[in-house]
Amino acid sequence: MNFWFAVIRQTGRNLRQTWSSQFMTFLTVSLSVLIFAFFSLIYTNMLGAGDRLTDDLSLIVYLQEEPGLAMKEQLRRKILAFDEVEELRFVSRTEAYERFAKQLGKDSDVLLDMPTDFLPASIEIVPLRSLRGYSQIKLFSEYLSSLPGTEKVQYGQEWIERFYHFVRLLTIVVVLSGTLLILTATFMVAYTIRLTILGRQDELELLKLVGATTSYIQTPFLIEGILQGLLGSIIGLLALYGLFQWISTRFTGPGILNFFQFDFFSPFILIAIVVASISLCALGSYTSIRKFLLI
Amino acid sequence: METQENTTQQELSGNNMIEMIKVSRSYPPDIHALSDISFHVETGEMFFLIGRSGAGKTTLLKLICNMEMPSNGLIEVAGYNINNLKGKDLALLRQRIGVAYQDFKLLNDRTVAENIAIAMEVSYKKPRAIKQRVRDLLDQLQLSSKHDLLTGELSRGEQQRVALARSVANSPRLILVDEPTGNLDSTTTEKVMDLLTRSNKAGATVVIATHDASIYQNSNNRILELREGMLHSLIRGNEI
Ligand SMILES: Nc1ncnc2c1ncn2[C@@H]1O[C@H](COP(=O)(O)OP(=O)(O)O)[C@@H](O)[C@H]1O
Ligand SMILES: [Mg+2]
Repeated sequence: MNFWFAVIRQTGRNLRQTWSSQFMTFLTVSLSVLIFAFFSLIYTNMLGAGDRLTDDLSLIVYLQEEPGLAMKEQLRRKILAFDEVEELRFVSRTEAYERFAKQLGKDSDVLLDMPTDFLPASIEIVPLRSLRGYSQIKLFSEYLSSLPGTEKVQYGQEWIERFYHFVRLLTIVVVLSGTLLILTATFMVAYTIRLTILGRQDELELLKLVGATTSYIQTPFLIEGILQGLLGSIIGLLALYGLFQWISTRFTGPGILNFFQFDFFSPFILIAIVVASISLCALGSYTSIRKFLLI
Repeated sequence: METQENTTQQELSGNNMIEMIKVSRSYPPDIHALSDISFHVETGEMFFLIGRSGAGKTTLLKLICNMEMPSNGLIEVAGYNINNLKGKDLALLRQRIGVAYQDFKLLNDRTVAENIAIAMEVSYKKPRAIKQRVRDLLDQLQLSSKHDLLTGELSRGEQQRVALARSVANSPRLILVDEPTGNLDSTTTEKVMDLLTRSNKAGATVVIATHDASIYQNSNNRILELREGMLHSLIRGNEI
């Protein structure tokens, strides 16, 4: 009780004496959290969009010939030998023609002169949900194109490939910026505390001489670090939320953002970010004061 | 719990607050500040440490409060081998030793009251008790009007008294004072000695390093004289 009173009084003195560098550190921490959380937010939303994108994914295997019954059975067996599938359907040339005509609707008279078998027969495959990672789909499609009698496999490769490239790039950006920002923020906190310590070396020496315990000397600095981490992350996240709101109101209506269905962090992630920020800042101040106390 | 430990420790080492056995302290390259000093100070005693400038008085006090380590020998304070104490134990012992340093060690950007309060704050005394004690001490040392001044703005004589007030503030068991009257006139010297005598009467062991003969001459207290780092004599004041 008295210990905490003394510690809080000491923390207040520290803050009053070095408020300008404290403020700079606080800004650094909130900016770091803002930038890092911004990239993470885009990243998690991209991953979500990626999931949705592959939700209605199907592969179409175009065949050279209309397969006979035995051939169909053989193909089905070979495909299932690779993996179970959600759905597997043969589309004959006539079916393909009729579907196409239906799609054209009232323009279907352009087909009148065409033979009804000008479209190739195909197999439509909806893969299992568990198989929907990009590299797995790619493997599957390579396997399918190696089957006898296949002409070409299609699944919107280019679009998906580009998307996954983008996600991979974003992963690198998030990891790099995260590491850099974490290092900067921790360093800044450690640096401010070291400044405080240097500016008050006489007092800390004297405190040791009059019998202040290690925790009496160290706890105020730890609290300072924790406050930096707490306030910095909360302000950083609030700024991000403001930005998020602004973007969502700006870009409502049909468009690319609707497709992405932009979501803010869940409460769990928010708390995790705050806790991580607090831990890092406390760690920064702890190492600084430790170094001093060992002298 | 902690006081209990203390009394048993004290019983073990008899009645001595300070026990020094063959203590030496040298500084590089070849300065022998103290050589082979053995003596004890009884609990409750008022003890004087005299000798010319450079004789080793300050060094001896620094050894007693563990600000410096001896090069050789054994030092016990309140029954503890003070050089083996670490961390919390050392801190707790230091809370019970008040030191008025020769160079004062005041925080010049803090007020007089804040400087004195520090010694009590580290042992979690209540703010009200601290305030009261600080006022009392300033009153006794004729510094009441300086309560809210920064110590950096005071004269050396005033700073000296603030340092003294800080050393006795927490009612320590052992008070070490280095040249307490160096910058003071005789009336103020008397006030300072009154305060130390009163602390001593209240049970504190007091060790005073000084070259001011007026404060030890006519007392019945024991006096240790150092000469060039060696124990020259150990006599009573009225035997001079
Ligand atoms: N940190 C130090 N480094 C080197 N020499 C020192 C140091 N401290 C004290 N001395 C020397 O030790 C001797 C005793 O000093 P001191 O204890 O301060 O004497 P006194 O307090 O009796 O005037 C002096 O010769 C002094 O120069
Ligand atoms: Mg001296």
